[in-house]
Amino acid sequence: MFEFLIAGISAPIFLLVLTGATVGIVGGFIGVGGGYMVTPALIVFGFPGYMASGIDVMHIAGKATVATVRHRQLGNIDWVLGLAMVGGTMMGVEMGVRLLNYTKALGLSGIALLMGSVLIMVGLFLYTQIETHKAHKKITELTQEGQAVGRELRVSTLPIFFQSIRLLPIVRCHTARLVISMWVIVLVGLCTGVLAGFFGVGGGFIRVPALVYIVGATTHIAVGTDLLEIVVSGGYGAMRQFMSGNVDMIAVFFMIIGAMFGAQFGSIATSYVRGPAIRYILSYSLILATTGAFLRLFYLLTAQQYGFLNFLAVVFTLGEMIFLCLFILSLVYFSIRFRSGKWVPAWIPALVVAE
Amino acid sequence: MKSIIDSMLAYWIILLAFSLGVAAVIYVGWLKDVIL
Repeated sequence: MFEFLIAGISAPIFLLVLTGATVGIVGGFIGVGGGYMVTPALIVFGFPGYMASGIDVMHIAGKATVATVRHRQLGNIDWVLGLAMVGGTMMGVEMGVRLLNYTKALGLSGIALLMGSVLIMVGLFLYTQIETHKAHKKITELTQEGQAVGRELRVSTLPIFFQSIRLLPIVRCHTARLVISMWVIVLVGLCTGVLAGFFGVGGGFIRVPALVYIVGATTHIAVGTDLLEIVVSGGYGAMRQFMSGNVDMIAVFFMIIGAMFGAQFGSIATSYVRGPAIRYILSYSLILATTGAFLRLFYLLTAQQYGFLNFLAVVFTLGEMIFLCLFILSLVYFSIRFRSGKWVPAWIPALVVAE
Repeated sequence: MKSIIDSMLAYWIILLAFSLGVAAVIYVGWLKDVIL
């Protein structure tokens, strides 16, 4: 146990390092900051809510930097795409926060806002899950027909529509192999930023699907580019939280120790899998985080009468991190087995890269 | 076991149940007394 003087609590160091490592693996793999997993977990560990948020943002900035460097080495970052989105995202977050303050002044209840964020997450989960399942099935069919399939396959036709919009200036994103109006990129950043700022959620799990299904980037490029965005937005957020006194740097230090290794592993793991595998993990993280939030909401709505609801919410918060990590580890494990010609489950060959 | 995990849904359920079980053990056996 370590006494965190600024936070005013004692917590086991091992838990913080483990949380940093597991969320680092997930974040490096699906391109999110992981705030929706870390903040509830830190609250479970006893950190005050505002401090949990501050520690989370600070550790996300560090973790995203590590993961971005690794993704850059893997060729998963499109600088034109990333930098074009950053401006829109920062503006969008500021607009979202102001909109939130305005609706709060109008008396809009917190529960309505929570339901709104849950609806968005469920909607994203359904779309990503259905599209990825269709892509998975198509890759399996093409492979059985003997056709070569690349690292990415997407069945959604939305990107074709958005790429056909010819509002000047048109930008060429070399790494992402896209030619698209810059206004589409900025607008995507703006809209995802507004959603993130308004609902108080991180941007990653909205931006990655937006980059894939609206801009038309491959999942790997979307992951790497989104992490670049998180370095900028997370860095700014970390600075503001630090200035507000919401950060216990010792706690951040222990989380970063785990995140340093986790984020590197998660980033490298993307080179073992195809795009649909990453989108599957993203959709699972959405539905599990939503379920945990729902359980917590029911517990609070029932005036904290039913202890088992709190127990379930805590178990889901911790369990989802373990589940996502194990799934990513098993994808890498099966990928290595597949490359060696050993037995793998029937659904694996379509999700992993053969060489 | 191989025939069970040949189904992605079955693998998902088994892995989730295992993960939630580990989380429950950590919470009940250690976290609850140590922190909360």
